[in-house]
Amino acid sequence: VVSLYFAVPHRARWTLLLAASYYFYMSWRVEYALLIMASTLVVYFTTIGIQEAESERRKRFFVGVSVVFNFGLLFVFKYFNFLGSSLQQLADHLTLGVHVPVLHFLLPVGISFYTFQIVSYTIDVYRGDKEAERHFGIFALFVCFFPQLVAGPIERSGDLLPQFFEKHEFDYVRVTDGLKQMFWGLFKKVVIADRLAVVVDHVYSNPTDLDGFPLLLASVFFPFQVYCDFSGYSDIAVGAARVMGFELTTNFNRPYAARSVPEYWRRWHISLTTWFNDYLYLPTVVKRRDWGVRIAVVWALMVTFTLSGLWHGAYWTFIVFGMIHGSALCIEFLTRARRKKLTAFLPPLVYSYLCLGFMLSFIVFVDVFFRASTMSDALYIIPHMITGTVRDLVDLKNAGFSLGAIKGMFAGLGAPKWDIALAMVLIVFLELVQLVQARIVIREALRPRPTWQRWSLYYAMGVLFLLLGAFNNSVQFIYFQF
Amino acid sequence: MTQDEILAALLEIFRETFDDGGIELSRTTTADDVDGWDSLTHIQLVSAVEGHFGVRFKLQEIMKFNDVGDLCDCIAKHTA
Repeated sequence: VVSLYFAVPHRARWTLLLAASYYFYMSWRVEYALLIMASTLVVYFTTIGIQEAESERRKRFFVGVSVVFNFGLLFVFKYFNFLGSSLQQLADHLTLGVHVPVLHFLLPVGISFYTFQIVSYTIDVYRGDKEAERHFGIFALFVCFFPQLVAGPIERSGDLLPQFFEKHEFDYVRVTDGLKQMFWGLFKKVVIADRLAVVVDHVYSNPTDLDGFPLLLASVFFPFQVYCDFSGYSDIAVGAARVMGFELTTNFNRPYAARSVPEYWRRWHISLTTWFNDYLYLPTVVKRRDWGVRIAVVWALMVTFTLSGLWHGAYWTFIVFGMIHGSALCIEFLTRARRKKLTAFLPPLVYSYLCLGFMLSFIVFVDVFFRASTMSDALYIIPHMITGTVRDLVDLKNAGFSLGAIKGMFAGLGAPKWDIALAMVLIVFLELVQLVQARIVIREALRPRPTWQRWSLYYAMGVLFLLLGAFNNSVQFIYFQF
Repeated sequence: MTQDEILAALLEIFRETFDDGGIELSRTTTADDVDGWDSLTHIQLVSAVEGHFGVRFKLQEIMKFNDVGDLCDCIAKHTA
């Protein structure tokens, strides 16, 4: 597609990209292309309706149609069965003898992502931040642009739409930059995430069979796995778009370097956080500010984060995940002034590292809910990974820290010990690379270097990739299912 | 009210809201320049400004406060 893209004239490029995007999407299931086409049509016509409406009432009507239609589809495909089974449980509990129907279809890939993107576009047109797009082809391409269709970044129309009208020439530096970013994304996914997945999947498939240290280690691995998985995908998407000359939003900025929960959300899945901020949190808090600022913030945070948990999937574990984050943000907000006074005596650097350590523990804890298959698994894992590990460490001390006892702690992880050691080395490697990335853009720092130095690095990474990649147990991207 | 008067009043509000007497403001100051000014505390600030000047902003206006200058202009528009 890419070589064709540069071969065809600018006027025909959108057709090519649109065809490629639909072809790409239909490779999952043909029927779902009809769904995305229906959404595209509805949003195309309602936004033009909003633009041309003379009264506020008519504008609101068109916004309503678009939002209800798109969220309605999302609800039917993603949440109907969850609500149904929850109601069924309630009905059974009350012995009502009611039967709630169950719908049988698969969740269309990427529906959570493109639905959010087009709802954002609808609201932008309504707010007057964006003119309704009249070119149907370009608009359809905005909805289904293949690099970011299935798992984001969730783009804003103001950023992405105009880029389809610009002419992108072949630019060697930009193309290779894009390819390098794609490779780094693939490296994070295949080498790091999929290696960690072996341990995490094993432990989380039957957590109640285990106790203590293995639970803790898998729970520490998981945040790194999900980060490499998702930021890896984002890098591939952003890199692929860059090859063709498009700039997409940055989706991650070293989330585990965050010193507080609000900072974490400014660094993790940035395109989703800003979506929730602009279209849900801010309108809610502004509307409710007469309740008193504190109450308004707590209310808006809880609503926003419960729904953002639910965005990930229709399971109680995700709802709890969102609510814990919401509560943590409320506590953060309400105790700010007091904490500032309490910690004033600490040197700033010490305080900063304390916060970092606290945040990492918090992420490990809350991600248990994100990963666990059921609430009862999560509620088993959390106490057992803490008390069990303490007991394991006491045992280890009693055994005089013998090698055999240390090996014993790593039993039950479902992977040979070298794999586990390798996984740990890879996490350290990732963090080192990210530390460097925080200071410089690696590709730009490399550019003035002699060719042999640059190519040795590329070869070394390539060899590492081939040697260490977990190819035989490739796992689907986690965020594809959301 | 002149721009200088608005800015002087804002300085008081900022220092009180963020509990930091060392804050300095100019029209180009943004949230990145003020420690503690983020999406959670933004509404505290907006609310304090509304109370002080006796105005009420629209959501649209609040969303477009990119720097202190935007905020000053909006206050000037409402108090004119």
